[in-house]
Amino acid sequence: MILQARNLGWGVRRLPIVQGVDLAVREGETLGLVGPNGSGKSTLLRLLAGILKPTSGEVAVEGRPLSGLPRRLAAQKIAYLEQQADTGEAITVRDAVELGRTPWLTPLQPWSDEDDRIVAGALADADLRGFESRFWATLSGGEKQRVHLARALAQRPRILLLDEPTNHLDVRHQLSMLDLVAALPVTSIIALHDLNQALTCDRVGVMAGGRLVALGSPEEVLSVERIAEVFGVRASIVVDPADGTRIFRLDHLR
Amino acid sequence: MTIATAGRPSVARLWWRWPVGLAAMAATVFAGTCIGETPIPLSIVVQTLANKVLGAAYPLDPIDMGIIWNYRLPRALVAASCGAGLALSGLVLQSLLRNALADPYLLGISAGASTGAVTVTIAGIGGGAVSMSLGAFAGALTAFLLVALLARAAGGGVSARGTGQIILAGIAGSQLFNALTSFIITKSANAEQARGIMFWLLGNLSGVRWPDVTLAVPIALTGLIACVWCARALDAFAFGAESAASLGIPVRRVQIVLIGLTALVTAVMVSIVGSIGFVGLVIPHAARFVVGVRHGRLVPATALTGAAFLIAADVLSRTMIPGQVLPIGVITALVGAPAFALILLRGRRRP
Ligand SMILES: Nc1ncnc2c1ncn2[C@@H]1O[C@H](COP(=O)(O)OP(=O)(O)OP(=O)(O)O)[C@@H](O)[C@H]1O
Ligand SMILES: [Mg+2]
Repeated sequence: MILQARNLGWGVRRLPIVQGVDLAVREGETLGLVGPNGSGKSTLLRLLAGILKPTSGEVAVEGRPLSGLPRRLAAQKIAYLEQQADTGEAITVRDAVELGRTPWLTPLQPWSDEDDRIVAGALADADLRGFESRFWATLSGGEKQRVHLARALAQRPRILLLDEPTNHLDVRHQLSMLDLVAALPVTSIIALHDLNQALTCDRVGVMAGGRLVALGSPEEVLSVERIAEVFGVRASIVVDPADGTRIFRLDHLR
Repeated sequence: MTIATAGRPSVARLWWRWPVGLAAMAATVFAGTCIGETPIPLSIVVQTLANKVLGAAYPLDPIDMGIIWNYRLPRALVAASCGAGLALSGLVLQSLLRNALADPYLLGISAGASTGAVTVTIAGIGGGAVSMSLGAFAGALTAFLLVALLARAAGGGVSARGTGQIILAGIAGSQLFNALTSFIITKSANAEQARGIMFWLLGNLSGVRWPDVTLAVPIALTGLIACVWCARALDAFAFGAESAASLGIPVRRVQIVLIGLTALVTAVMVSIVGSIGFVGLVIPHAARFVVGVRHGRLVPATALTGAAFLIAADVLSRTMIPGQVLPIGVITALVGAPAFALILLRGRRRP
């Protein structure tokens, strides 16, 4: 188990926001995380990234408690892509992606050609070639999101935590983002809103009211009944005759 | 494109920046030593320095030598340290608080330092055991903590995104501490003292001598080294504290150390030369404009520009009105206020 959470919880004052999450993530798998707005997906990802200190339970990375790991070492293992992160700095795309190398550098260990290669690779993977010298403020929402992805990739993590990485992307880039993540030899946890995208993950976890209410293969977890219960919508499953792929059609629950 | 987007020469290939920077710094200090109300020929300045530093024995007028060695040189060195220190303080606050308007003056840190210094010197708190700089440091830290707490209570803490609150809180803090300073002066000082203190508060380098140099230079260097050391951490704050944490920065520790140092540097500078505004605000923006936003370059550029700016301001303050010394804060504000307006108009973005 590369990443493990035991009875993980976090709250503000008396109010629990995430509680009792038990989760074991296998090396190399892609885990989708779905749930309604405010169900605690982002909070759970922040806990798993070690950015929030849990108020109960703990997270273990490669069997060792995350809380005992210095931030720098944690960041060498885990990259976290925020749902929204903006800046007022006149920073360029290349500058932003280079930030991903931060956990691997020290004041005494300067930038190297290897870092240059990794950054170039990350830019290429996120389809950002030609954008290197563009200023952040001039980018579109989807381009910004791809820069964040490139930064996370440049971090060369073993675990990628992505919070709604596709929500600003056009259709083609949504697909290539998910394909890329699936093809990378890393373990990823992705918070998603598109249930059809969740179907392509290895496993899916469902968050509701701060709890992980289901975890398992997409087919068993994303049942029509559970979708009705958690999201309050009626789902019907349509099968693509070409290859037998299942697709959700969603309707208001009457 | 601009320099910020130019290729990525490795640090090894950029080693020359440090000697060049040092030479530029030495040249500005030298210029500050050469220019003054009394015109003294260049050759005499050089000979004085040779006498004092290299142990040469040029026969010189002791008055000229005194002016250069005991008066102008320490003054230029303190001005340089002060300019570099205040500019770096502003840079650190702007980066950590992610606010283009953050600087020790606007956030009330300078005002707190003044109150602390006045409390020690005039009201005599601490009974002589506490030095003025220490009093100023306590005042600066108290002021910043109060301002940060107020900002947090108003919904925009140190780590929050997009915070106008911290500036508003800073204005409240400045007003409070300036009022406290005036109160202490009015209550405890005699007329003569009060005039001197008021002049000092506006920023004044006339009283600067060698002992001040031995305090100001090491403190400014400490600030510079800390900023160079933390340059990557400061870069990582571009997308906020949470993003910095996910990039492996120990956010809390960096904030405490750097903001503590900012308070220390500001306090020491205020205790030596009084509170000088606008340096911390304007210089980092000017430096950003030239070298871009990456702190590896921005930190040295800010330090250098700040030092040169304050030496120039000091020279102007001595020479602008013949026979009169203007408070240096007046000069920095005369230049800084329009620059401040420009920043407000331009916002923080560049096309
Ligand atoms: N610091 C905080 N203080 C108070 N409430 C908070 C805090 N952080 C999160 N919450 C609340 O916790 C709940 C879960 O938030 P979270 O961001 O994890 O939801 P999410 O599942 O990511 O939602 P979305 O789909 O909208 O991104 C929300 O109701 C949110 O308002
Ligand atoms: Mg979320």
